[in-house]
Amino acid sequence: MPVPDGALIVQSDKTLLLEVDHPRAEEARRAIAPFAELERAPEHIHTYRVTPLGLWNARAAGHDAEQVVDALVTHSRYPVPHALLVDVAETMDRYGRLTLLKDDEHGLVLRTTDRPVLEEVLRHKKIKPLVGEKVDDDTVLVHPSERGHLKQELLKVGWPAEDEAGYVDGEAHRIDLDTSGWSLRPYQQQAVDGFWHGGSGVVVLPCGAGKTLVGAGAMAEAKATTLILVTNTVSARQWRDELLKRTTLTEDEIGEYSGARKEIRPVTIATYQVLTTRRKGTYTHLDLLDARDWGLIVYDEVHLLPAPIFRMTADLQARRRLGLTATLVREDGREADVFSLIGPKRYDAPWKDIEAQGYIAPADCVEVRVTLGDGERLAYAVAEPEDRYRLASCSPAKNPIVERIVKQHKGEPTLVIGQYLDQLDELAERLGADVITGETPVGQRQKLFQAFREGEIDLLVVSKVANFSIDLPEASVAIQVSGTFGSRQEEAQRLGRVLRPKGDGRTAHFYTVVSRDTVDAEFAAHRQRFLAEQGYAYRIVDADDVDATA
Amino acid sequence: MADDIRGRSDDELRALVTRRQDLARPAPADLSALAARAGTRASIQRAVDSLDLAHLQVLEAALASGVPVRPETVTRLLGADEDDAESSGVDGSGAAVVGSLLDDLWSLGLLWRSPEGLHPARAVTEVLPHPAGLGPRAADLFVRLPDDPATTADEAPSAARAILDRLAWGPPLAVLPAGSPARVSEGARWLLEHHLVASTGADQLTLPREVALALRGGRTHRDPTLTVPAPTGTTVDQAFVDSAAGQQVTDLFVLIDELAAEWGLRPPRVLRSGGLAVRDLRRVAALLDVDEARAAFVVEVAYAAGLLADDGALEPSWAPTPAYDEWQQQPAGDRWATVARAWLGSTRAAHLVGTTPAGMTSSVNALGPDAHWPPARGLRADVLGQAAAAGEAMAVSPSTLATAVRWHRPRRVPSQLDTVVEAVLREAEWLGVTGRGALSSAGRALLAGADDDAIAAAMAAHLPEPVEHVLLQADLTAVAPGPLAGSLATFMRLVADVESRGGATVYRFTADSVRRGLDAGWSVDQVLGTLAEASPTPVPQPLEYLVRDVARRHGQARVGSVSAYVRCDDETTLGAMLADRELSALQLRRIAPTVVVSPVAADTVLGFLRDNGYAPAAETPDGGVVVPSVGRHRTPTQRSRTPVTASVVDDDLVTTLIGTMRAGEEAAAYHRDQLATRQGPALPSTDPTTTLAVLRDAAADRQAVWIGYADGEGQVRRLLFYPERVEGGRVHGTADGTTRTLSIHRVTGAAPG
Repeated sequence: MPVPDGALIVQSDKTLLLEVDHPRAEEARRAIAPFAELERAPEHIHTYRVTPLGLWNARAAGHDAEQVVDALVTHSRYPVPHALLVDVAETMDRYGRLTLLKDDEHGLVLRTTDRPVLEEVLRHKKIKPLVGEKVDDDTVLVHPSERGHLKQELLKVGWPAEDEAGYVDGEAHRIDLDTSGWSLRPYQQQAVDGFWHGGSGVVVLPCGAGKTLVGAGAMAEAKATTLILVTNTVSARQWRDELLKRTTLTEDEIGEYSGARKEIRPVTIATYQVLTTRRKGTYTHLDLLDARDWGLIVYDEVHLLPAPIFRMTADLQARRRLGLTATLVREDGREADVFSLIGPKRYDAPWKDIEAQGYIAPADCVEVRVTLGDGERLAYAVAEPEDRYRLASCSPAKNPIVERIVKQHKGEPTLVIGQYLDQLDELAERLGADVITGETPVGQRQKLFQAFREGEIDLLVVSKVANFSIDLPEASVAIQVSGTFGSRQEEAQRLGRVLRPKGDGRTAHFYTVVSRDTVDAEFAAHRQRFLAEQGYAYRIVDADDVDATA
Repeated sequence: MADDIRGRSDDELRALVTRRQDLARPAPADLSALAARAGTRASIQRAVDSLDLAHLQVLEAALASGVPVRPETVTRLLGADEDDAESSGVDGSGAAVVGSLLDDLWSLGLLWRSPEGLHPARAVTEVLPHPAGLGPRAADLFVRLPDDPATTADEAPSAARAILDRLAWGPPLAVLPAGSPARVSEGARWLLEHHLVASTGADQLTLPREVALALRGGRTHRDPTLTVPAPTGTTVDQAFVDSAAGQQVTDLFVLIDELAAEWGLRPPRVLRSGGLAVRDLRRVAALLDVDEARAAFVVEVAYAAGLLADDGALEPSWAPTPAYDEWQQQPAGDRWATVARAWLGSTRAAHLVGTTPAGMTSSVNALGPDAHWPPARGLRADVLGQAAAAGEAMAVSPSTLATAVRWHRPRRVPSQLDTVVEAVLREAEWLGVTGRGALSSAGRALLAGADDDAIAAAMAAHLPEPVEHVLLQADLTAVAPGPLAGSLATFMRLVADVESRGGATVYRFTADSVRRGLDAGWSVDQVLGTLAEASPTPVPQPLEYLVRDVARRHGQARVGSVSAYVRCDDETTLGAMLADRELSALQLRRIAPTVVVSPVAADTVLGFLRDNGYAPAAETPDGGVVVPSVGRHRTPTQRSRTPVTASVVDDDLVTTLIGTMRAGEEAAAYHRDQLATRQGPALPSTDPTTTLAVLRDAAADRQAVWIGYADGEGQVRRLLFYPERVEGGRVHGTADGTTRTLSIHRVTGAAPG
């Protein structure tokens, strides 16, 4: 019988509502975390969603349907719809009916515990060409090159295969963590262990929670040549710096493979961009993937992985793959490809929990609404729809507010983040700060960052480049003046900028300046929702009240 | 039979009349009248149709056994005399069971007793012409049977044997159309030659009863079922059953409330044929996030409970009724009692919605006339009755339930019984009458006919306590962690959109939803106040900001209509006008310092102002001043009217005229010829009553009539018609040697031929 006062409420749309203040909330959270994705985490009620992928993730982690059903029934306040329980059991039962194995005699095979399932999938037009002869009634040969594609297609038809075909060890290369003066935090160690025992998969950690160290930890386990794929050059340099500092690797052992340099060393850091560069329709740098007998491939920011990389990854199924990300939510909805090609989720920690553990700074999010001048309002009203966002975003009315906020936080490392260069230039001039945009040379960029890091300057105006994997440990105030159409992902990144651990445990501030009654405010509403869902205190104030918010 | 009835005791008569209630109305004058009525075909038909399978099989065996009916023979025919009692499904002595069933049939008046023994009532043989699929006796077919039909049949060649096998278990008639394969014809010939079948028509063979019984091994029925087949299923925990039912009921209430909220705002129109458009049903399904079958059920059950109805407007639409508002405020248990009772007694079949029954061209619409299916009510009661009989906490399998229902009413179940049983069980589950397939405590109370309070109490115990608070969150959602009490639920649905349903309800506030609340007349403070009251925590800052932000812009621009305005740069002049009592008839109202408006026409306003010493000027719609044209009133420019002269009669006209006249003459001559040559009397136009009488008389006397009949193109034709019968506004008969059916209203006149 359900307990009348359970902390969980099961909804008919397969969302689970968790009452946070309930005495048994933590117990319930631990019970459902393996199979339900946290969707929203505002102050009172957290929403989890049960999806087939989530259930399969749980199966991959060794949970069975009985545990899931038990968790739901035990903690639910009201009777759980029977149909939902049946559906959970059926969905979970689909995982593992098919297994990819390495057969001593035949090599890679797909084996089933349920013949009709094998028959069913073999009838699919897209799956047929991926497999070879039938070995016996339960087993069919698989071309090793199609291991990834097969997994992708099987997931599409709802019969995800368990990949137990193992991995090649790759070329051995000694890598150890250099733990003088520091050690992996418990959750980082758990993430490394979770990944290593699972073989391949994704580790989900918030920005600033030390994903690079999880990567280093995984490398120390693998002790093999490693290919690290990152989003851009700056990020590549940071990976290199971090690896030099935290591991026994020396500069000679780490190579950078980017637009500027093409080094291939035992540990090679490559950018997505260079791998996806095409000349005359062919990817010219794909050889890199075969250049060495890699034992581990690390994908940074998996949620940004571009489509061509997925295709290449499909061919790399025999190598261990580690995905690192702050969010599994992909705005292009390719979560399923991440699951089938990189692997199931191996570790996940809610941001708030890590924050509570003191590893990332608590953040105070404030949306400041400015009122456009009468002339601007008129101009806005008659503007073409495609120009409106820019017009509203770049309103000069925002400038004095930004100045006021900057003044308020004088002395604290502050970033002003925006999208439109004109606006950024103007702001920089008014504030007397340097601007970093996509056009700023890498050297200059690094020099400014270094100065910022060392506290020589406490104010920088940055464009979109700031979104991706740069490391500004001491930024504690971020002021966003314009952003890309309300993207949740971008919001997570920007928040990440200010959430890096602060030396003195100060509160981080995140300001968004938006123009009232315009599309700017509408997009801000999306971002606001995301932040509130992530459990951040979120306030909206009028520009006139800014001083009161300090 | 009359003697038998007259000889019955009071108790026996009471049993007869109670079990065949049609005999009691109108009250028969005496026992002879009662006997006569009990023997009519209609009454016997009714009685036979309501028999269960055991009685029916015994009755059939009795008919097959010959007169007088001997219990031993019947027992033997049913195979109930064998030691192997299981084969007949009878425990203990088969003969005793058959005996008591025969007594029961006697008590029902389907058999009567004479000193010789039991006899079937005559009409029973008419109602059951082929009892148990047996044909007439050999003697009635004038067939001289072989001495031992079974032996003869064993010797039959394979073709003949095949025919016998087909006929043995009925129906006993075979049709051999001309051109049947030679093999079949040979088989038939062999059977005829050996007197195993009778030829009862040009191409028809009948198997005599004796032969069939011989082939059946002396039995009438292949599977005699003299005891009730008990439905089987799996046992479940009653506590789970009740909690599952409670959860379904909670869901149902939310669905009905949401449906009512939506239809209260945007009522869908009633189709001309009655019912709800397929598109509207689909919209409901999307809105409620359920499949169409369930959406149809929700709509139908709400309709059956009188919670929504056709609003009867000129352009009718479906909308919640005032009864809904009352219902919504009731405690959950009472709400359930209302809905469940309405469903149980409803003659509407929601499962038919979206299907296309045989013989119909379009699918059935929800709320439409085609979803009205009277057998639904009886079948629903039967299905649930059988489920109840299966015992407590028993999730009965639909197939065994169907078998049981069929046993109880073998002659009344529709062919699609399995579908109906499944539909009833599915709906019962949605309604919480069952939970996890077994009857809930409240469902049992409902079936047992308990009073509303008892039913309500039985369900209320398993419904979650209504909550009276919502949790407000900074991401602009609100969560009601349980079913919300009436008025708060209405308020929340007004100012927020429902995002997810289940045990709890998640609401999301948006600018649109808040505006909806303000449009409905709530003020910003009322909205925030109600929220603050309903929330145990303070209203989150972003939510308060949202409400105030929407309110800031709400009603910023005002729209109204007036007939005239007075504008004047001098505010004092306008002030004077407003103060002027002479102008009070103009109902002037100031809407800006320099503008006053009036609901009175501009001309009148102008006149009034001038009469009272003001000097207003009229304005054109684009703001220009109308140039006064006082004293020079003119009509608008007139179109010139040149006189029309009559046209001259010229040659062309004359030629046309003559042509026309000639044609007219020819037509008249033709008409005369027609009159001269046609047969029969002149046909005056007769009124329908007379026409009917003439046709009826003619039909009775087998006489011909002359009739005028308007055909499809409106031409009246004369027919010599031989009517055979008149019914339902139509007359059937022959004309010119072909059978025709004519509508009476098309017959313009009739005269005896």
